[in-house]
Order: sequence, then structure tokens, then C-alpha cells
Amino acid sequence: MPVISLSVNGIPVTAEVEPRLLLSSLLRDHLGLTGTHVGCDTSQCGACVVHVDGKPVKSCAMLAAQADGTQITTIEGLAQKGKLHPMQEAFRDNHALQCGFCTPGMVMMSVALATEQPDLDEAAVCKGLEGNLCRCTGYQNIIKAVMAGAKAMRG
Amino acid sequence: MEKYGIGQPVRRKEDVRFLTGTGTYIDDIKPDNVAHALVLRSTHAHAKILGIDGTEAENMPGILGIVTGKDWIAEDFQPMPTKSAVNKKIDGTPLNQPPRHALAIDRVRYVGEPVALIVAETVSQAQDAAEAVEVDYEELEAVTDQVKALEPGAPQIWDDIEGNFCLDFELGDKEETEKAFKGADHVIKLDLRNQCVTATPIETRGAIASYDKDTGKYFLQNATQNVHANRDTFAGVLKIPSEDLHHVAPDVGGGFGAKNSGYPEPSLLLYASKKIDRPIKWISDRNESFAADTHGRDQATTVELALDKDGMFLGLRTKTIGNIGAYCWTVGPFTPTGGSARTQGGPYYFPAMHYTGIAAFTNTMPLDPYRGAGRPEGSFQIERIVELAARELGIDPVELRRKNLMPADSLPRKTPMGLDVDTGNFPEVFERTLKMSDRAGFAKRVADSAAKGLKRGFAIAPYLECTGGGPKEFAGVKFARDGSAALRVGSMSTGMGQETSMPQILSDRLGIDFDKITYVQGDTDATPIGGGHGGSRNMEVGGSAVLQCANEVLVKAKQIAAHLLNSNADDMELSEGVFTDVKTDQSVSMVDVVAASFEQSRLPDGMEEGALDTDTIYEREIISCPNGCHSAEVEVDPETGSVNVEHMWVVDDFGTIINPMLADGQVMGGIAQGLGQALMEEIIYDEDSGQLVTGSLMDYALPRADSMPKMEMAFFEDAPTAKNPLGVKGSGEAGCCGAPPAIVNAVLDALKDDGVLHIEMPLTSEKVWRAIAEAKAG
Amino acid sequence: MYEFEYHQPKTLEEAAKLFADADDPQFMAGGQTIIPVMKQHLAMPSDIIDIGRIADLQGISVDGDTLTIGAMTRHGDVAGSDEVRKSIPALSDLASHIGDPAVRNRGTLGGSIANNDPAADYPAALVALGATVYTTSREISAEDFFTAMFETALEDGEMVVKVTFPVPEKAAYEKFPNPASRYATTGVFVARTGDGVRVAVTGAGACVFRQSDFEKALDTDFSPPALDGISVSADGLNSDLHASAEYRANLITVLAKRAVKHAG
Repeated sequence: MPVISLSVNGIPVTAEVEPRLLLSSLLRDHLGLTGTHVGCDTSQCGACVVHVDGKPVKSCAMLAAQADGTQITTIEGLAQKGKLHPMQEAFRDNHALQCGFCTPGMVMMSVALATEQPDLDEAAVCKGLEGNLCRCTGYQNIIKAVMAGAKAMRG
Repeated sequence: MEKYGIGQPVRRKEDVRFLTGTGTYIDDIKPDNVAHALVLRSTHAHAKILGIDGTEAENMPGILGIVTGKDWIAEDFQPMPTKSAVNKKIDGTPLNQPPRHALAIDRVRYVGEPVALIVAETVSQAQDAAEAVEVDYEELEAVTDQVKALEPGAPQIWDDIEGNFCLDFELGDKEETEKAFKGADHVIKLDLRNQCVTATPIETRGAIASYDKDTGKYFLQNATQNVHANRDTFAGVLKIPSEDLHHVAPDVGGGFGAKNSGYPEPSLLLYASKKIDRPIKWISDRNESFAADTHGRDQATTVELALDKDGMFLGLRTKTIGNIGAYCWTVGPFTPTGGSARTQGGPYYFPAMHYTGIAAFTNTMPLDPYRGAGRPEGSFQIERIVELAARELGIDPVELRRKNLMPADSLPRKTPMGLDVDTGNFPEVFERTLKMSDRAGFAKRVADSAAKGLKRGFAIAPYLECTGGGPKEFAGVKFARDGSAALRVGSMSTGMGQETSMPQILSDRLGIDFDKITYVQGDTDATPIGGGHGGSRNMEVGGSAVLQCANEVLVKAKQIAAHLLNSNADDMELSEGVFTDVKTDQSVSMVDVVAASFEQSRLPDGMEEGALDTDTIYEREIISCPNGCHSAEVEVDPETGSVNVEHMWVVDDFGTIINPMLADGQVMGGIAQGLGQALMEEIIYDEDSGQLVTGSLMDYALPRADSMPKMEMAFFEDAPTAKNPLGVKGSGEAGCCGAPPAIVNAVLDALKDDGVLHIEMPLTSEKVWRAIAEAKAG
Repeated sequence: MYEFEYHQPKTLEEAAKLFADADDPQFMAGGQTIIPVMKQHLAMPSDIIDIGRIADLQGISVDGDTLTIGAMTRHGDVAGSDEVRKSIPALSDLASHIGDPAVRNRGTLGGSIANNDPAADYPAALVALGATVYTTSREISAEDFFTAMFETALEDGEMVVKVTFPVPEKAAYEKFPNPASRYATTGVFVARTGDGVRVAVTGAGACVFRQSDFEKALDTDFSPPALDGISVSADGLNSDLHASAEYRANLITVLAKRAVKHAG
């Protein structure tokens, strides 16, 4: 079985993994980081988005073995010292979540969007969230939150 | 500073855990020594099971057991009876109800029906074994359309139920309605469908069952909206007393009705967990959920509207054939009958109405409530026929609606469907929506669209709906010495935010620090009864229970305060957490009162330590009537037929608003699901084979961020209902009622010059393109 | 997923040897197709050979009138590349509409074309631009590369190394996405080069194809009205849940006109 070494939320991890183990399962089942959710089988929903080397990736469509040598950030790694990340704060302020199930993927994707395009507009947010489904909010508050979060991240 | 009272947009307590990935959904729970289950499902729409051979599978690595229908029947487990409130045919005989077992016994009747449960050490092992189980099927002809199912010669799904007929139902005055139609100047008729859709919460279903052989009790953790009712269902299946099953819902990732049902899987897991003496977990995958989560809507309807020469409505006649799938599910037969009947006619004044509904069996996954359960269907029916009448009679659709709305002074009124409409002001709500919609700028926007080769349309759709679900609800509060309070409620949030809004009510009434209120829901051990979630009942019934509970606490708290101040309870006034004697101006804080409630020496005679702890049950007498109005502006690309919903304006009358931020969220979420139904969502079965065609998110389209219009919302708060002490009317399902007709009618408005009169939902780009082409061809 | 062996070769030679030695091997690039397919038990390779990290397969470069993209270049990197944007903006635009941002951070050009999904975007670009596919053993013109639905000219064990694109005078891609999957219900790539105009259609047939009657008309007059009056036959086009052949035929015309307009 492949042995992989990676960093998850800044913590070094070495693990022997079954080849068929998905990155999402490594995080959830082996590392207990259950904030990363799995909502579909076909890469549409985006609840499983994490950052791999700073880029948003669907962790249910990546083998754990492929993550060897990478730096992973999950939703659990976003808040620092008990203080919510500005994007998390913006989601809360704007009521951009209801059941919360899509939220981790939605927030991780939004942080990546705002990092890549600090001055993004609503159209860019909509396009950027193309691979993240939410069934509760109707998206309007998510879009508002991403705009606000991006602004806060700019400082 | 944030304020926490009723009416404040309080940020949610639950958000912090959801945003940091520390929520606990069913799949996040991992009991020690847990085994994993997979449900082997029928690959046929209709077939006899000649035999199941699990010998090879049973011997595969990690396999702990396989349960088939034969095993199930041998245990004498019971079927799950329907709880449909409409359960008699028009002739008074009971509805035709086949036994619904947790596993197919000797015949499968829809693709996805559970055939066996496979339990293994790991999910992968169970999957591997599933492919080794040999099920010998003899295929039978299938029918998946309810209209065809009722035709002579249709495949018969049940041997002892003739013609796939479950029940029929009528409401209203048939004779009066016939008279109205005879005397009418105009009769407009339309055949339409509310297509089959599915709720698709982003969290799929799942459950973990275990059995404690020392206590003889079962424990079920389940992604459900309704722990109490489903506990009783599962206990009934297993023939155990309800007290022996502790049923808990952890954080639930959306429900929208589809997690309300008594599904087969939990009973299977409970049984198997006892048998192997280990906890067992089952998580549905997404593709499985399309086949095995309940579906919704699916009604084929003929609606007729009678008008006089001035365009005043005289009568409405609706005939619906609803698909309920292969079985009577939890309340499936209710939706196309009673559920769709009550709000017929919407907010319009009708002298006469008559509704007929038939529930028919087909070879599809059974249907159960989906957000609105009958009211969105009714709202779509009335708004489509009114729009068509306006078009056919050459009347402005806004004007036709305006003149037929129930006048404010006609309320309270009992509609011909028996719906008790107590408060509201439909014309006011309608005019406010219209005003928000910037009608003055419409002509310019039409011209701008035309310059881009696009067609723009507008429509307005007022709606009237009603609440539902269980009428009784429990609320209980237990205090601690430090002034904190633990609130327990039997209603249930699957994302709507009751963890915030219920404490808001308690904090508002008792002046308790909002942050010191904890909240428990979805636990059969925590509350003696509970109606869970459904029918927009949470705030109406659950919130009222909390208010009643708070009021009962307040009576006792005043007595304690008065005792501490040597005055009379009647002179106590509570403001911002402090009781003041109106006569002496002496005061004592609620925190002190709570502390005193734990010290016998500080309590008045007759009270004991913990005296403030209060349990109460509230019972609703009459359902309330949320209402409102949606309007939509859309752009249609005639070359491709694609529709872009640009803008929606909404005014809702939900009575008292507890938390406007959360109420807005309910409206927008409902609009998104309504937009999905209007434009893209549809569960499709292959007509011949009965196979599910839309079996994954690759084929079943959901709205995305870029599908949504700009939404502007406002509340009409001048007409709280007196039917409950909070004055609330329920907000959860309204968006689904208003959005589909507003969007569909706006598209048809955009295409009016093309002569397009009707397009069936969903208005996919191809359907719109075809409608334009066909209208052109004449 | 069924069990399989996983390998992560560092060189093409190593990858080829692993492939030759395995029972039923499968190359994996970004994994955005094969992983979901395996999850649904629709494929059971004995060995997955992950070629995503082979250095020789990376990179984007421009040399004169030729843009070269390494097979393992991710869609997001193509979309974000200045070289691509400057030389063939239509290609950068196409890449930015594949899947979604997360998928684009894993999926690769080589993986996409080797899979040859009939609704994939890249095949239209390769065929319209007259690209050349360089493999571990030869060079193949794009038209010869895509042979049938999910079929290419690649032999067993042969890998795509890079693709070269001649820089066109003008080009544009228009896609009508499937509302559920966001694959192309139909997509049309139009390119004008010194050799004439090429129009390639994806999503509408079993495999990418050229719309030669459009090409002729646009050779004479590169403007949307040039396509007026040419009716696209629905014969042989895909008809499925999402779109009938007739509707796809209509989309081919509409999208081609829009692409011509967009190309300017």
C-alpha cells in the first residue's frame, strides 16, 4: 500500500493508504476531519472542496495517494486561534447557510475565489460557484457573503 | 450591539459549528465497532422475484449478514401503514392500501425498491458482495405514468387492487359549481402537469442503528425530520414498544419533506444490529437517493375557470390525477387529494369551487410530501388558468387578478374549499408587489432586451397557502443556577434555524440572556411528543409551544420575584431581564429569580426547588394561511429557448416575523426550488422499461448560483393571525408556491407575440424553443 | 471502487513499463473522469498508473506561430495562462468553461482528449485549430486522433505527450452547457487561419466533427449572415434526455453564428 506524507491544516501526516482511498475519506475517516462533506458521487455538489496546495479541489474526486507531498487545508483549518476567517464571518453575517451541509465546500471555494481575484464581482462569484450546489439558501445570500468576505480579506 | 428579541435579525447560534466544520451530521458519527450496510435495490420496475441466492456473497470477506424479504416475513415483521389524513374513497370505503414492507417480498414494483440488506465490515466489502448476490427476476410489464395506469388494460401493479386505483376524493360544492359553469359567459380550460421532482437535500439520507442487549433497547440515529412519528412507525414494524426505541436526529443537512417519511432502511438496520450485536451504519449515496428518496408533485390536472362577461370569476373546477408510486408511502395519498384541495382558487374570490383528486399507483418510487405538498400544485393551477383566461379574453392579466382578489373586507372568510382565511390583505400585498416591480421601467427593459435579440416578459402571481403537519407540540425548559436555560422542543429544524429563533422567543419573553439558552430537538428521550418538521409548522406550532412555555414560566417567576420583594405577583413587570414592582419600584433580576428557584428558603410556599422548570404542550386548533405575491421578469433567448430569470419581487404575509433574516432565507430557498421546478428539474422514468433516467446529478439539474434572479423581498406584517399566540403564519413553503407560476407565466408573457399559450414544466430550453417553432408553424 | 494497484511513475519510460507489465492497466491524468467512473463501479482496472506528475508532460510555451501545451497541463492553468490568452484567447476561454474551478484544478488536456467524451470541450478546439497530438510514439493530426465515441487513435500503452496548436487569425468557442452536468450539450469552435476556416462541433454527435458546409460559407464571408440559409441536418446527431437531434442541429447553427461574431 502506498505510504503518503502530507500536511493537513499545517500538521504533518504520514499514512499508509489503500490505493482506492479517496482524499475525502482520508480526511473524514482516518483523520477525523468530518467538516469536509460528501454530497454526491459525480463531482457536481462541491461539498467536499478542500485546498490542495492552495487550490480548490473536489476531495471526493482525488485519491489520497495523489495527495502525497501536498499541503491540504480543510474547513477546520480556516479559523485561526478561535477567530473565524473573514469569509466564515461573512457567511454568518449574511445568513449564507441554512442546513450547513454544503457550507464547508462553499466556504473553501469562496476563499479560493477571493484569493485568486480579490476584486471579484457578482458575475465572477456565480461563475466561480458553478461547481457548488446549495439546496437551502437560493444562493443570493451566499453571493452577498462572498463579496463581503472578499472585501474583508482585502482588509 | 445585537438584539435578541422577537423581530430581530439575530445571527444564528448553529452557524459557528457549521462554518468551522464541527457540526455533527449522521455520516460524521462513527461508533466503535460499527459495521456498514448496503441496500441491494431492484434493477427492475416490475418483476417477480423467483429467488435470491446470497450464498457466494455471504462467504465473501467481511460479510456479516444478508437479510432478504423471506427472512423478513419469517420474522413476522409488520408493514408500514400510511398515515394519510384522507383515507376513504368518495363512496366511503377505505383507500386501497397494499402492505408496505421494508423489503420486497416476492415481487418488486419500482426501480430502487429494497430487495436485501447486506452488512459488512466496510462499505467496499458490502459493495463487492452486492454484485455477487443473484436475484432471479421474471420481468413484468410496467407503467410509470398515473394517467396511463388508470386506463383499461394497463399493467396491474397489485393483484388485489383493481385498476391501480388507490382512492378518489372530492371537496367543494359540485352542484353549485356546475351551475356557475352553466351560467358563465366564458369557460377557460387547461390541461397541465406539475411534473415529478425530488427534494435533493445536499446531505443524503443515512442512519446508524444499535441494540443494547442489557437494557433491551434500540438506539437509532437518523437523518430525519421527524423522530417521534418515525419511532412509532419503526417500533410498529419490529413489534416493540415505542419506549424501547430511542430515536435521535443529529444535525440534518436539509430535508424539504423528503426526510419526513418512514423509510424502510431504519427498520432493517435495527433488526440487523440486534442480530449481529453491533452498531450498523448506512449512508445513501447520491445516485441511490434519486431512486430511493421520496418524490414529489407529479399531478396531471384539468382546470376549468368560469367567468362572467366582466371577467369576474364564477367558479373553478379542478380534476387531478396524482401519482403516488407503487405504495401508499407515509402520507402519499394525501397530497393529490386533501393536500391539493384546500387552497384551490388561491387568494381569489370564488362563489363556487369543486375539486376532484385521484391517487393512482404506478411503478415508480412512491411520492410523499415535498415542500408544499399540494399547495404549490394548486397555486400553479390557478395562476396558469387565470393567465390563460387573460390571454384568451384579451384582458390585462394584472387587471384580471386585481379585480378578482378577495377584498380585504371579505375576511374572515371560509372559502368554498372550507379554508378558514382569517386575516390578511390580498389587494394590498398585490399592489405592493406590483409597486416594487418597477413597472414603469419595464418598457425600456423590453426594448433593451429586444436590442440584444431577447424577449422579456413579466408576470405576477399572488398565492394563498396553509400550514399543516401535526397540531400538537411540546416545549420544555429547564433552568440552571447560573441563570442559563435548556430549551427542548419537539418541532425540528433541518436548517431553518430554530436553534436561534426558538431561544429568541424565550429570551424575548423572559429576559434571559440569549447566549445562555441551549437548545435540544430531534430526540425522543428529550421530549415526550414531537411533531418534527413539515407543513411550515415549526414556528406556528413549535414557536407557539415555546411562547406558551415562557408564559407559564413567567407566571411562576413573578410569584418568586414578588416573594423576594415582599409584594404581589400582579404588580411585577418584567423588562430587559429585571422584575420591577410597579408600585414600589423595587426590583430583582430574572437571574436572581432563577437562582432563588433553587433555594427552598427563597421560594414562596407551595414551590419547590427547580420550580421554574416547565414542560408544556401547545395544540393548534386551526391551520393558518400564509399568503403573498411573487412577480418575475424573465428574458428568453428565442434562438436557443433558454430562459434567464432576471428579477423577482416578493411580498409575503407570514403574520408576525420572529427573525426577518431567517424568514428571508426561507423565501429565497423556496424560490430556488420553485425555479428549479419551473425551469429544469424533472424525475423521468423510461416509459417502456420503467428505468429511472434521471438517476444522478449528471442528469437531474439543480439550480446553481448563476440560475438565480435578483430577489427583493418585503413582509406585510399588518395582519398577524389570531389562530396562534405568536401571530405567525408559517414561511417555509411559500417560495415554492409563488415562484413556479410567476416564472412560467413571465416566460409565456415574453412569448405572447409568438402565440405561445402553454408550455409544460420544466421549461427547458428545448421545450421553449419548440413551443416558439410550433407556434410559428401554426 | 474495486481494488487496484496504484503507481506514480516519474518518467514516461517508467510509465510505459508499468503499463506493459500490468494485467488491465489504466492511465490516470487528473482523474476527474476515471475516479467518478470507478466510484460507480463502472470500471475495474487492475492498475492505475498516475501520470499526472511526469515532468515531461507539463508546460505551456509559444514558439512563433505555435502554441504547445503539455498533456498534463491542467484546465485551470490553460485558462489562466498569459501565453494562451495572448496567442489563442479562444482556447483560454474554452478551458475556463470546462467543469468548474475545482475540476479545472485537476483535469488535464491530455486526460480529456484521451478520454474523448463526446460532450467534452477540448476536441472541438483541437479539430478546429488543426492541432497536432504528439504521443509517446508519433504525431497525429487532431482529426485523425478522435475516432469514435470514447475512442481515439491511441494504441494500448501509448500516451499523449503534448498538443501543438497553430495560432489562428481568429477563433472563438461557444458552448451550450447541459444544465445538470455542465458538459457541452453542443459546442462549436470556429477558427480562421491562412488555410481557411474550420468549424468543429462537439456534444452533438458521437464524436467531434467538422461542419464543412459552414466552413465553405465562412471561407467566402466570415460573418454570421454567411450561415443564413444553410440548414443543418439532424440525421446522425445525438438525441437524449437533454436535447433532441433537431434541437442540437439548431444549436449548431446558433452557436456557430455566435462564435463567428465573437471571433470578430
